[in-house]
Amino acid sequence: MNTFWRKKLSMKYNQSEPKPQVQPPALNDPLTGILEQDLLKIKETFKKSNDVLFSEFNLGINEAVRAAIIYTDGLADTTIIQNSILDSLMHETSQMEGGLEGLPTEFLYRWIKKRSLTVGAMTELTDFDSLYTSVLSGNTVILFDRFVHAISVNTPGWDERGVSEPESQTVVRGPRDGFCETLRTNTALVRRRIKNAKLFCEPKQIGRLTKTDLAVMYIQGVANDKVIQEVHERLDRIDIDGILESGNIEELIQDETYTPFPTVYNTERPDVVAAALLEGRVAIMIDGTPFVLLVPALFIQSLQSAEDYYQRSDVSSLIRILRYLCFLIALLGPSIYIALTTFHQEMLPTPLLISLAAQREGVPFPAFVEALVMEVTFEILREAGIRMPRAVGQAVSIVGALVIGQASVEAGIVSAAMVIVVSITAIASFVIPAFNMAISVRMLRFVMMALAASFGLYGITLGLLALLLHLNSLRSFGIPYMAPLSPYIADDQKDSILRFPLKKLLTRPRLISPKNRTREESSSASKPKSNQ
Amino acid sequence: MRRASIFFMTALCLLLITGCWNRRELNDLALVVAMSIDKSDDQYMVTLQVVDAGEVSSKIGTSGRTPVITYSEKGKHVFEAIRKMTTGTPRKLYFSHLQMLVISEDIAKEGISKSLEFLSRDHEVRKDFFVVIAKEEQAKSILENITSLEKIPAQKMKTSLETSQKVWAPTVAIQIDQLIADLTSEGSNAVLTGIIITGNPTTGTTLKNVTKTSSYSNLKFQGVAVFKKDKLVGWLNEEESKGYNYIKDNVKSTVAHIECPGGGDLVMEVLRSKTKVKGKVVNGEPSIDIHLSAEINIAEVECPIDLSKIENIIELEQSINEKAISVLEASIRKAKELGSDIFGFGEVIHRADPQAWRTWKTDWNKHFAETAVTIHSDFKIRRTGIVSNSFLDKVKE
Repeated sequence: MNTFWRKKLSMKYNQSEPKPQVQPPALNDPLTGILEQDLLKIKETFKKSNDVLFSEFNLGINEAVRAAIIYTDGLADTTIIQNSILDSLMHETSQMEGGLEGLPTEFLYRWIKKRSLTVGAMTELTDFDSLYTSVLSGNTVILFDRFVHAISVNTPGWDERGVSEPESQTVVRGPRDGFCETLRTNTALVRRRIKNAKLFCEPKQIGRLTKTDLAVMYIQGVANDKVIQEVHERLDRIDIDGILESGNIEELIQDETYTPFPTVYNTERPDVVAAALLEGRVAIMIDGTPFVLLVPALFIQSLQSAEDYYQRSDVSSLIRILRYLCFLIALLGPSIYIALTTFHQEMLPTPLLISLAAQREGVPFPAFVEALVMEVTFEILREAGIRMPRAVGQAVSIVGALVIGQASVEAGIVSAAMVIVVSITAIASFVIPAFNMAISVRMLRFVMMALAASFGLYGITLGLLALLLHLNSLRSFGIPYMAPLSPYIADDQKDSILRFPLKKLLTRPRLISPKNRTREESSSASKPKSNQ
Repeated sequence: MRRASIFFMTALCLLLITGCWNRRELNDLALVVAMSIDKSDDQYMVTLQVVDAGEVSSKIGTSGRTPVITYSEKGKHVFEAIRKMTTGTPRKLYFSHLQMLVISEDIAKEGISKSLEFLSRDHEVRKDFFVVIAKEEQAKSILENITSLEKIPAQKMKTSLETSQKVWAPTVAIQIDQLIADLTSEGSNAVLTGIIITGNPTTGTTLKNVTKTSSYSNLKFQGVAVFKKDKLVGWLNEEESKGYNYIKDNVKSTVAHIECPGGGDLVMEVLRSKTKVKGKVVNGEPSIDIHLSAEINIAEVECPIDLSKIENIIELEQSINEKAISVLEASIRKAKELGSDIFGFGEVIHRADPQAWRTWKTDWNKHFAETAVTIHSDFKIRRTGIVSNSFLDKVKE
């Protein structure tokens, strides 16, 4: 098994042209053009699958040309096949005077393609391999006797979930459409937001067996060329039998495998993707999942939400500050409590210390064990809440309220203050908009708790320093992860911790879109005219 | 791999050789909130007031136990006595939340520095607790008194000391760091507030004390103890204490009264008092200038006076200033009698003329007694309340 993606892939800006990757030779026998033979071979291939259907028919008044269509039941739309392929072929060819006999095949073929088929998207196939892929993708393939080309017609007809409200990143104000599992629908959702020919949508297929369709989207001239190139390279380097979700791709193309932090951003929201494309990011869409990947992903991105740009700027600035605070609480809440109550009692005001001490009277465990038990319990509850069938959801919340709540305090197992600390930490971790970042923070919380229990605030400080070092060493597709905080980019501070009004956000992020920095020329256009 | 292991080892060393390893759970600690030092034969008797947290906290479940417990132990040295106490205490004593130190008058007369050495050296003790002198009582019995309203007596003492200094003025809230600075300074001497027990001290030690609206006994601050070096030499009465606080610019607000020109009293509230003490050397003799300024609100008028007339107000201001000067003079006179410069005039002279100071600093207290002090008082009446003239003279006879 190839393990090249285990290597740290880093991108340097002054790198010379990268070596082109060698594609493995595909198994492609050309079609022979003799219908009997070809059909036999295809039927042999699909003999154990009854969902691939064949139907043979003859064209022309005197049935001079034999043809066959092949499609997958359930994937192809039978109405289209009926109306636009079979009907029109039969009809047109029967109208033709003198029948089809004696006409040169080349002419016939061109005529059928140009005149008689009333469908939009057609491609020519010359080999079996692409024929199979085409059939299994939901297309309908038409074979004619004595033609070496098969015609593949786009007839998508499978059932899809449709565009519905995204579950993972909800907003109060903002568009409510979310991506679905069909690649074409998803690219269309983005196209609807950016009507520009410079928005490229490059196709790819990954997965030796699954042949999963991908689309790499970016705006030419806004996105960083080096990042685009790097995305293509990394995608082309993937050699795996199956891709089922964008998470697979994410793992295979991220820069650094050993980090708890997400260096690839994912979202279900078309408006977020559109905004990212306008900033100069690159989107990778995968067929079969509503989650679209965005690179390069930065730390601050996971603490920002789409709604920040739909609410007033002062409101969203404050809420952003609140989120940063929540990030710290979610990371350090229990550990600070442990450190203060077991190492630094002198830091607490006397009345507070007395009430904490009173609560701890009779609690048998050290503060660390107490916190650990509570945190683990909370994690169990959270996980249970996700895995449970919906019908049982009520039960979990009731039990949860008992386990981390008054009952456990009254049982004398934990102190009331600990319950409060754990609860606020839990709530704070749900504030973080990016789910994968929230999970990382939850994981690191335990490390911090262990450090706090061993060395107090000193340990927490060490942990934070180590975390800072680690975060600053990370890169996402060559872009420093902590930009624009470190390296400090003064211009981009307008949209990192605070969000300035749109009139002030005149430039794109410098590292992400180095060439094309101007968003707005000037902001005078939107001002009301003064009365002259 | 090698780099990683080196990094790991370094990190481990950094963590383990810091000596930061004093984990203690909250429920293994006995919070000491007050400490008293008494003399017993030729030994110290140290008493500690420890909080029973479960009893103090807001949770319902008062089991009839006292909110604080005191432990006493004798020893040749303070620290020995404290360590000896562990034979009787169920938990480790924790001194970081010490709020009051009560020293008995006997020790104060002999000299307090030796008993303070441990408290200034120990790393666990913070330097922000108040020091008071137990007047006419054993310091131990002060700590044994149970107080109403504020469950922890130490807390009660601390807050009432702070507030009374702010709005009443004859008490001084001195924290240990300032006390030590005063003791070691050449140009000033230390003062400490005295504390007494009113009522019945023996009932005061039981919970019965808080079962009556007016407690059987109470703790009160009274008088200011004057020290010479580290020995108590005398007490200032209320008036003199107020004068002391005016000179030291400790007064935030206080109450004073003067006699009206036509008999009867007029009570007023003093606000925004500000004192500037300047020193200079005149003809080779030290002299001190005190500038006192404040705002007055008239609080009670118990005499026939027409406050709407400006000349009356001016006249009042004059008599207020005379009164203030007499208060300050009384205080200075007392200090000179005791031969102790508690106002820090020495330091003022030191700043004004370091050359001259060098000749006096060895026996400054003697020179202090001969120092000329001039006092300028500038009190201004700002507000007369919401009625101009008192209704008292309109009351039907």
